[in-house]
Amino acid sequence: MNTKKWKSIGTVLGETNISEFYFSLKNYKAKKGDIITTESKIPSSEGNVVPVTVWGKISSIESSNAFFPTEAAQELTNENIDIRDTILPTTRDELICKVIILGFTLKDNLKLMPLNYPVRPAATVSYPSSEDVEALLISDLDSEHPLFIGSLLARDAVKIKIDADNLVSRHVSIFGMSGSGKTVMVRRIMDELLQKKYPMVVLDIHGDYLGFIQKQKKLYPNNQVKLFYPNLSVSSDDKEIIYTLIDKLGNSLTDPQKDFLSSLLEKVKYEGGSLLKYIELLVRKAREYASDSSKSFKNIRPASMYVVVRSLGQVAKKLKNMEQTNFRHRQKMSKLKFEELPDAATEPEKIVNKGQLSILYLKGYENLPASAIVSILLENLFKHRQEVEEEIPPFLTIIEEAHNFIPSRSEDKDNLPSVDTIRKVITEGRKFGTGVMIISQRPSRLDETIASQCNSQIVFRMVNQKDQRATTRDSETLSVDDSKQLPNLANGQGIISGQVVNFSLPVQIKFDAELINDDIGNENFITAVENWDDKESVKQRKKFAKDFSNITSIDKRRAN
Amino acid sequence: MSNEIDIKNKIKANSSLFTNFVKNAVNASPKVQNNFLDVSAQVALTVQKILEDANLVTNLEYKGKDFWSENKCKTACFIDGGVDKTSIISSAPLSIRTGSYIVKPDAADKNREFFEESMVFLGDLYDPKNELYDFAEDDFDEDQMLNKKKDGARIIFEAVTIVKHILLNRKFDYCFLHGPIEATVMPFTVMGFPTFTKFAVENMLPFYNKNKLNAEARHFINVYLEALNSIKKSKFPTYGIVETSNSAPYIKNLLYSYKSKGTISEKDFKNTLSTIKKYKITDSHLLEIILQSGQAIKPLEVKKQIKGFSVTSGSAWEDKMDSFPSVHIGYIKVNDHSAPIRIESLNQSKNLIKDYEYILATARLLPNYGFPVGLNVVDKFAKIPNWMSKASRKYYATHLLKQAIRSKDQNTISLAVKILSKKVRSWRNRPLGGLAR
Repeated sequence: MNTKKWKSIGTVLGETNISEFYFSLKNYKAKKGDIITTESKIPSSEGNVVPVTVWGKISSIESSNAFFPTEAAQELTNENIDIRDTILPTTRDELICKVIILGFTLKDNLKLMPLNYPVRPAATVSYPSSEDVEALLISDLDSEHPLFIGSLLARDAVKIKIDADNLVSRHVSIFGMSGSGKTVMVRRIMDELLQKKYPMVVLDIHGDYLGFIQKQKKLYPNNQVKLFYPNLSVSSDDKEIIYTLIDKLGNSLTDPQKDFLSSLLEKVKYEGGSLLKYIELLVRKAREYASDSSKSFKNIRPASMYVVVRSLGQVAKKLKNMEQTNFRHRQKMSKLKFEELPDAATEPEKIVNKGQLSILYLKGYENLPASAIVSILLENLFKHRQEVEEEIPPFLTIIEEAHNFIPSRSEDKDNLPSVDTIRKVITEGRKFGTGVMIISQRPSRLDETIASQCNSQIVFRMVNQKDQRATTRDSETLSVDDSKQLPNLANGQGIISGQVVNFSLPVQIKFDAELINDDIGNENFITAVENWDDKESVKQRKKFAKDFSNITSIDKRRAN
Repeated sequence: MSNEIDIKNKIKANSSLFTNFVKNAVNASPKVQNNFLDVSAQVALTVQKILEDANLVTNLEYKGKDFWSENKCKTACFIDGGVDKTSIISSAPLSIRTGSYIVKPDAADKNREFFEESMVFLGDLYDPKNELYDFAEDDFDEDQMLNKKKDGARIIFEAVTIVKHILLNRKFDYCFLHGPIEATVMPFTVMGFPTFTKFAVENMLPFYNKNKLNAEARHFINVYLEALNSIKKSKFPTYGIVETSNSAPYIKNLLYSYKSKGTISEKDFKNTLSTIKKYKITDSHLLEIILQSGQAIKPLEVKKQIKGFSVTSGSAWEDKMDSFPSVHIGYIKVNDHSAPIRIESLNQSKNLIKDYEYILATARLLPNYGFPVGLNVVDKFAKIPNWMSKASRKYYATHLLKQAIRSKDQNTISLAVKILSKKVRSWRNRPLGGLAR
């Protein structure tokens, strides 16, 4: 590291401390988010004074022109005068930068250490070379498995890598508004983990990750990429889901009706399997009990039993509808090969395997069934990781639109089955290698316990103040200055903080254009309408509609 | 009569004069208040008539956009001095500098504007080896003269800065000084006022009396006169601009010229001057209500250095004061809500109206303050900031205390503490409890 080659860009101002300082910046020599250095001296533990290089990140820049009076602006505006025609000073802008101190390094050792002595006021501030910044970041990260994700926001030339080990074991949250770059970030990480053959399970609601299936042969010839559609199942010893489904999807039941449902669940034997088939079986059996005048249920009136029948029928109908909706979406992507989700209890290796990416396509499912599906899936996979005989390798679960699966208590949806499961997986995940990545555009609507378990955050543009507060609340490393920056980030620009990077960094995420799903494409509805042509059936309907309309118009008789 | 009412209304509506009026009102009875209003109005009315008779009032043209578009090619220099008068009993630190803001609006970026620190002095006036003033034999004299020495230094530095630009053959279209172009030198004529050091004079006026820089030649009066004579010969118009006038040189000289012509009787002249003095009426007060926004008063030639005061009477400098150049004083009223600014020059300008219009335009860029913006800019540049003064005071205090503690003499330490806590009574200097024994 040749510090002599670094350009001088400013001077440290008056009062400093060990966590931040201000400096006066030469015009156009650095930007917000840039990494800078200043030479300082600190007392060593042996009592010597040691020269050190202090590293910092510019967290804000303010510009002022003390020589430009405010009231002059008033005159310039009123009289439409160009300031450059007048004697007013135009070149005395003063730039003051606030710097968050990252730590110090000793000569020939690029490991950052916490500063415990203030930097010297009036010291020169330097702009280190891109190579040296990159070397510092890599050296400081000290990662066995770094993942490349993009470049430092202020300097394209500085490549940013994050630590894969912390990412997959200590959980990460990715927050940002719709279209801010969350999915781009997740695809980037997935791409890197696929290269490392790390297994992943993606809960995909919108089909954002189907591009991996399309490009598998070309980009990931050594990986398996599987696309699953959900199979709602129930186990023989856990029928609680039925109560929840009726509560959320059917009519609410009175106490006698609930008693009947409990007895029904006890009496009807089911060895486990398709949830829909089980509900249909329950409907059939309940109808039988109701029609044979309650020989088996003396205290329950048939009317109450029929209410349960109707409620179960409603649930079955809704589940069928969801299945059909999901099916129709799958049909649209006929080129993709969808498989039914294997039973995670008996065949977990079909879902989690070395080098395999499993995408569970949940489009069309409402919150509760989707939550049930996810809960059962993760519960089973987690069990396999807990067992002494590990049947599956460690894996990472990627939860898109996480607020649907782990809503905050204030959302009044904490009885979703996935909340408890994910809470368990995320709390104990470090031990068992079941890391979780949660992605959401509404962090304020997420379960606080789960969100706070994520030791790293990647945050993109965020305007909603409630969400900004939630982001800083759940993070130990995201500063208030960082959160102030959130509304101003552009697409694909994010702030990474936590254990994957050591100190927060503003980053431009590398955009992997080839990973976009061609079938879904962009939401270009205008073009869709421009190219719209009626289907044959619609054309026919329109053709006859005119004739029928003519009949109606000449019919003058009054209706009987 | 209607004119009189108009003037009275103007007095009431007028900011600075009304403040004066209110000040009187606080202390005086309604009768006295009315009398003040009547007197001010009558004097204003009379002066207004004389100004009209002498055709001294002129309307200046100002069309913001067009004006600056036409004048952007002109180079203007603005000069101001800044002094830190840090006060500590045991020492007399002086930090002083003059700054120049030179601007040519239509020049390319790097040549458009320059901020120069033209003259700087940092030192302690109690230090016998200081490079600015010779040290007086008598400590008492040294102490008595302290404030005068600081003022003298500022005045000479500002004048010398203009001289420096002349010597460097700078091509200015205008040069403006924040303050009078010629200060009243009477305070510096007192006995015992120290001379500048040879080193200082050589630095300030390198061309001056090269062979013989004796004590007399190095006295403030001679050095300042030399500087002013040099400024008078300047090729570019140089003006001193004063925010508000605390005296009435213009009115007095106007009345004097009318008395000389015989238009005003000796008695009326004397009585009016006496009234002006008694009621503390100034040029600013009167012209603020007489002039309209954008109007100016053409300059009158005024002798600034008036001999015959008790201080100068019989002094060796009395004759010298006569040789100071006379000053051309005029006023411009920039806007409706501020007092007219005083414009001073050593020469009568050939393009007076153009010059005044330039001054008006620079002042209009501060529409509320109504003062040339270039002088406002250089004022901020030259000013010794608080943090610097504070640091300097801290340094002196620490140094004093360290020296005292090093001496290990209890009396010295006690004295040092007392000196440092002279203004703000500190805990250590608190009155001791109990009865004095």
